[in-house]
Amino acid sequence: MSALLTRAEAEDLLYREALLIDTQRFAEWLELFTPDVEFWMPAWRDETTTTEDPDRELSLIYYKGRRNLEDRVMRLTSGLSTASSPLPRVVHQVTNVMVLDADEAAARVSAAFTCHRFDVRMNRTDCFFGRYEYRLAPCEGAWRIACKKITLLNDTIPTVVDINAI
Amino acid sequence: MDVSRYVDDRPEDGVFRVNRAIFTDEAVFARELERIFEGGWVFLGIESQAENPHDFFTTTMGRVPVLVQRDGEGTLRAFVNSCPHKGARLAQTRAGNARLHVCPYHSWSFDSAGRSKAIKSQRAGCYSAAFEQTDHGLAALPRFETYRGFLFGSLAADVPPLADYLGEAAKLLDLVADQSAEGLELVPGQVTFTYEANWKLQLENCSDAYHFTSAHPSYIRVLERRQQEMSADVVASVWENSDYWKEEAEGVAGGSYSFASGHVLNWGIFGITPAIPLYESAGALAERHGEGKRDWMFNMRNLTIFPNLQIAENASSQLRVIRPVAPGLTEMRTWCIAPKGESDAARRQRIRQYEDFFNPTGMATPDDTVSYENCQIGYSGTVEPWLQGYSRGMTATVPGGNRFSELIGMTPERSVLADAQLCDETLFHSYYRAWAQRMAGGEEA
Repeated sequence: MSALLTRAEAEDLLYREALLIDTQRFAEWLELFTPDVEFWMPAWRDETTTTEDPDRELSLIYYKGRRNLEDRVMRLTSGLSTASSPLPRVVHQVTNVMVLDADEAAARVSAAFTCHRFDVRMNRTDCFFGRYEYRLAPCEGAWRIACKKITLLNDTIPTVVDINAI
Repeated sequence: MDVSRYVDDRPEDGVFRVNRAIFTDEAVFARELERIFEGGWVFLGIESQAENPHDFFTTTMGRVPVLVQRDGEGTLRAFVNSCPHKGARLAQTRAGNARLHVCPYHSWSFDSAGRSKAIKSQRAGCYSAAFEQTDHGLAALPRFETYRGFLFGSLAADVPPLADYLGEAAKLLDLVADQSAEGLELVPGQVTFTYEANWKLQLENCSDAYHFTSAHPSYIRVLERRQQEMSADVVASVWENSDYWKEEAEGVAGGSYSFASGHVLNWGIFGITPAIPLYESAGALAERHGEGKRDWMFNMRNLTIFPNLQIAENASSQLRVIRPVAPGLTEMRTWCIAPKGESDAARRQRIRQYEDFFNPTGMATPDDTVSYENCQIGYSGTVEPWLQGYSRGMTATVPGGNRFSELIGMTPERSVLADAQLCDETLFHSYYRAWAQRMAGGEEA
């Protein structure tokens, strides 16, 4: 890793994250996050604005701490969740990656995503799309995700959206 | 319609069965829209969704788009959200503020009391005298009433007053409305989801204590893990602090109440625990309402006001509006409902618990909705059309209330007092008796 995050490094990290999710390598995926990560997908307040204050307004997902993501992974892979058995097939496309600002302690990165999901259970294909905003921080010699904000643009949820489809 | 083909209700024989066709049949569905959603009281929203002068929100009753609008003087009214000119949907957004609604198609305009304000180029329009004498205002819902801030409308004029329709179940809405002297509100951020199954599956699941340990073992495992760690990082939930749902728990754990018109409650004892966001008000609420009513506010309560309103107060507090789209497709609009004026910490706790448990992006609801879809698929198997899921509690249900309902002076039609294992299913009978009554209707009854 270089002192300042480059776009190539940001792309490597985001693409790697997508690959790990798509291939269900959840343990490795979790390692990409800092222990105190903020993982946030706001809800929509109205047609044009998302919620902004997770403490006073509802989010679709809001966690502070990787520990909560571990719970989600455990549930997803436990075989005890009807909605997650079998796991849908997913593939993420992450594009438009930009480093918004960067210093040695942190970097902000934005990107766009689409995730195609094939729900084998219902023989149904859905597509979710939106924007990512990351705060990356150096941790044990690598850039890690300290904050990930997912703005889901098509938020009428077809039955379920779990952490693997956003 | 001969409803005995769909609901086999023979209490004297100990039989209550529902035919699978009730969830799949197109003709049944069309009649449900006509008789139930477009033919009687339907929940529209809560007053705080249009709090200030000229505020409005939109919703639907069956297929009908509805506009609930407050005028400049503060009066709330409800209209069909459709321009009388060509029928175009008038208000385009879920909510907003408008002194004037201008139809985007031909610019007919309406004030916030629904009166016609202007017809574009009216004088040059060479209209007939008959047209000039016609009221060009918005069509008001034939009935529109409010109870404690809960707004209901009916597209049929010939319905009993709302208070009669709600009956004793109104006291359960009081338990929601009275949690704060300031009233209640919807936390900003609406979540909408769909599922590919019949609307009555949502009706039933909310009242179904039997599924919890079967459909949600993955969530229960998460709870157990959190309970062991008790770290400050994790989302704390009332579930891990309660025994009521655990299969090995003993003693009276809760039960069910059924009311006329198809309203039902299933409930469980949580106790006055800090895991409930309302805990900070426990003392004040006992002072204001008495301990009996206060304790009820802390009970787990899943309330259905037939046919489309559910308020679930368990892990957090959710208001759901059920909208049938097709026999096998339902849309759910959901909000976190909360007492106004609670502390930042309580609100945060309420929101975190809500997201984790209730959201379609959370850890519990998807295992319900996916089960509804499995049911919808299974309903096509009509070799034996009658379902067996309405039989638990048949020998436990009694007419009237019990010592718990007495605490809030509530007299339900029937009640069941249950341990954790009973998981009453007779409360569903109330749904289907109301359903049958409405579907049979007048001359064919």
